[in-house]
Amino acid sequence: MNQSAGNTFSNNSPMLEVRGLSVSYGEKQALKALDFSIQEGEWWILAGPNGSGKTTLVNAVTRGVPSTGTIRWRGKNLRNMNSREMAGHIGVLAQNRSVDVSFSVGEVVQMGCYAHSTGWFGKLFRNDRGNKESSRQGRSIPASCFSEERAVEDALKAVGLSEMADRSILELSGGELQRVFLAQVFAQDPELLILDEPANHLDLVYQKQIFELLAEWIRTPGRAILTVVHDLSLALAFGQKGILMSEGKAAASGDVREVLSRDHLQAVYGMDVHSWMRKMLGQWDE
Amino acid sequence: MPVKEKGNENSIRKARRTYGLFVYLFFAGITLLTFLLCVSTGSVPVPAGETARMLLRAVLRQDQPQTAFTSIILSSRLPRVLCVALTGAALSVSGTAMQGLLKNPLADGSTLGVSSGASLGAAAAIAFDITLPSLPFAGTFVLAVVFAFLSLLITLAIAWKMDHSLSTNTIILVGVVYAMLVNSILSLVVTFASDKVKNITFWTMGSLAGAGYSGALVLSVSLAAGGIILFRFAGELNAFAIGEDNARNIGVDVRRVRWIILAAVSLMTGICVAVGGSIAFVGLAAPHIVRRITGPNHYRLLPAAAFGGAVFLMLCDLAARMILNPVQLPIGVVTSMVGSVLFIGIFYRGRKGQV
Amino acid sequence: MKNRKMRAIAMMTGVFAAAVMMAGFSGRALAAETEAKESGAAVTVTDMKGREITLEEPATRVVALSAADCEILYAVGAGDLLVGRGEYCDYPAEVWDVPSVQSGMGTNIEQIIALEPQVLLMSSMAQTTEQVTQLEEAGVHVVVSDAQDIEGVYTSVRMIGALLGKDAEAEAVVAEMQEKLAALAEAAPENEGKTIYFEVSPLEYGLWAAGNGTFMNEVAELLGLTNIFADVDGWAQVSEEEVIARNPDYIVTISMYFGEGPTPEEEIMGRAGWDVITAVQTQGILNLPNNELSRPVPRLADGAKMLEDFISGAAEEEEAEEKPAA
Repeated sequence: MNQSAGNTFSNNSPMLEVRGLSVSYGEKQALKALDFSIQEGEWWILAGPNGSGKTTLVNAVTRGVPSTGTIRWRGKNLRNMNSREMAGHIGVLAQNRSVDVSFSVGEVVQMGCYAHSTGWFGKLFRNDRGNKESSRQGRSIPASCFSEERAVEDALKAVGLSEMADRSILELSGGELQRVFLAQVFAQDPELLILDEPANHLDLVYQKQIFELLAEWIRTPGRAILTVVHDLSLALAFGQKGILMSEGKAAASGDVREVLSRDHLQAVYGMDVHSWMRKMLGQWDE
Repeated sequence: MPVKEKGNENSIRKARRTYGLFVYLFFAGITLLTFLLCVSTGSVPVPAGETARMLLRAVLRQDQPQTAFTSIILSSRLPRVLCVALTGAALSVSGTAMQGLLKNPLADGSTLGVSSGASLGAAAAIAFDITLPSLPFAGTFVLAVVFAFLSLLITLAIAWKMDHSLSTNTIILVGVVYAMLVNSILSLVVTFASDKVKNITFWTMGSLAGAGYSGALVLSVSLAAGGIILFRFAGELNAFAIGEDNARNIGVDVRRVRWIILAAVSLMTGICVAVGGSIAFVGLAAPHIVRRITGPNHYRLLPAAAFGGAVFLMLCDLAARMILNPVQLPIGVVTSMVGSVLFIGIFYRGRKGQV
Repeated sequence: MKNRKMRAIAMMTGVFAAAVMMAGFSGRALAAETEAKESGAAVTVTDMKGREITLEEPATRVVALSAADCEILYAVGAGDLLVGRGEYCDYPAEVWDVPSVQSGMGTNIEQIIALEPQVLLMSSMAQTTEQVTQLEEAGVHVVVSDAQDIEGVYTSVRMIGALLGKDAEAEAVVAEMQEKLAALAEAAPENEGKTIYFEVSPLEYGLWAAGNGTFMNEVAELLGLTNIFADVDGWAQVSEEEVIARNPDYIVTISMYFGEGPTPEEEIMGRAGWDVITAVQTQGILNLPNNELSRPVPRLADGAKMLEDFISGAAEEEEAEEKPAA
């Protein structure tokens, strides 16, 4: 990993640069020539109505679906990276899922260390001697010094599940489960964290928890977040930059308040979203 | 089985680690005991002391007296039980890997059409006299493995055409349809080769009766190769067991790993079919029982499944040999009885959402 | 799923084969009383299921589904009356020129009716009642021939002879068979105490032996031999170790040889651990691959003769070997 270069240019060269990204499902063009670039420290929001291409965009960037156009990671073609290398840079938290295998919480979180594991022979002979207090800024950690125990423990502590490491994931509530997978992606220690509606269908208390955890996570330098959100208030509360998607295209992108302007939302959602949201909030007045 | 310790350090270390030496010795001990039980029990009663002396002499490479008992134990029972144990282990490990990979507790070699393909290959070798000089049963053996791989290629190619992400449902669907196709081709082969029908039909019932030390050697080589490859991918299998997208997200090269796992599985399945015919449900029943003890973590599940499969099939074989003594049942009859009951059980539980 | 289907096919084939071949547990075959009524040339026979069939005159167009019935037809000199045969009929060679119809589980009724036979000969296992009804509605007389032992072979030969107006020929065939077997039975005391093992399927596919109630067993008894698997009913899968422990003096294998690799005899001689068996040590292994001892036909007597010749030949060799030593 070319980390000296990364540090030198960290403030002006983008982490992730996307140009002309397009995805087609047969005849249907699901994503049409999208451009954006993410800098370190930025929290990007991906908003738009259902079917506007948000999840497709996430999948295209993470190579889950075939796409055309350029995707560069710190100047390097992302498509040329192997899966493990990419996972070391970009972590993904998918929409909350159903699980049916009785892994323990610790086991699931530990899987996040896959990108940093040194392979089979490394595992056989390394025996986890690298319990050094390594700087969590991280990608700088050489694989041989990366301590899985420490990473898992820190991740569990971060999401507040330290006491549950031995519990089966089948016994958890939806919110606990989503935090387990968040811990997994924390243990993966990526630079860019991509989340697809991380708080969807969760109780408000978990929604609050998860976004506060993300806000804490991004405070460490050298990190960035891209979140798909449905709730535009959340977008405004946490995002700095944003893309408003409409029919596979970016209706607007840039500063989040700019992007979610009354006119843009009127064009995309076909309604006066601002008035509606205010009216909703007005219900809470004493 | 190991008691859950308290404390995070331990539980986290446990998450990835395989069993310790002690547990392996325990497994090996149970397997060895079963092995000895199966070697010393058979339709012809041989005194246990006699058996023990013979085995000891065999281990010490001393000369054996030429008696019916030595023939029975050393030439018939020992290689057979050895082959049964190795076949059980290989099929069980294969089934475990398929179930993890496809995230489907009902998957095993046959779901992908691998064992169907292997059967067709072996049947074709018998029907059309495809043999290799100087090697015993090499024709059936090579063709079974080749057809197993071929089946894999065809199934996955079709699945890939239908769905570029090779989702598990597509693979299983295509695998089942492919197995049906292969079965009809097999019937066609049987029809055309009518003078050898008897051989093919007896062979498809699955028989390890004639299995010798050469069979055991081939089986152990394939089990070692396939087993080591699969164990090396235990972490990836864990990720697949949670879900394919989870595997991709943590950095698993989903397509490549899937190919390797499927290749290892078809190698082991093909060789098992070539040596002993199709023995149904071993890859389903044994891992299911073992998983109840070990949990889903493949670092522990895979090695335990190898031992468990060996013990399971040895006991099934013992039952097949002893139930109607001196008449022998085909081993597949016993595994099918146990397996289909379990199959319904798993399916029922799966329906109720509590696998 | 696939495995189960294949197993089902295999099992059914095995069960079918065993049930057709073995005698015994279903009791004696019903003696078919054949009363060929000379007057008006009308023929009435009772078939081996006890059904009474009356033909206005001896049949001239016959379809035979089982290989045994085909053979008997030729044996009584009525091969030219055969207009259709089951697909597995293979003896004598002329039978190959007769149009083949699907038999067994896939019996093709339309094919049979199209051949316009007056009589259809078949064994009792393969066809359903519906199929028989269909055939009879189409004017085909269905006659069941189902010999379970040597006595049953005589019955079916006489019955087929009667159906075709070949009573004299049938009687001659039966007499010849009886004569041959009676001659062989005289040798029985010499073979007293000798044991024999009939191998139906080779080790590679799981050993199957002919046990009690099979023609092979009956022939063995006739020759004074003891079948080592007389305690097993019909054709059954047995274990290798049991063969070794029961140590037969002679082995008969019915495996076919396809011209490559070791012959069935060589294959048995080469089996690991079988060198302790007397039959292997004295080369007392005979291959009878052409259903000589497994099909209910007059050739059974020839098969029995081949076996007796082999055994007496082997015994002489043994004596010849022993003499110089002594």
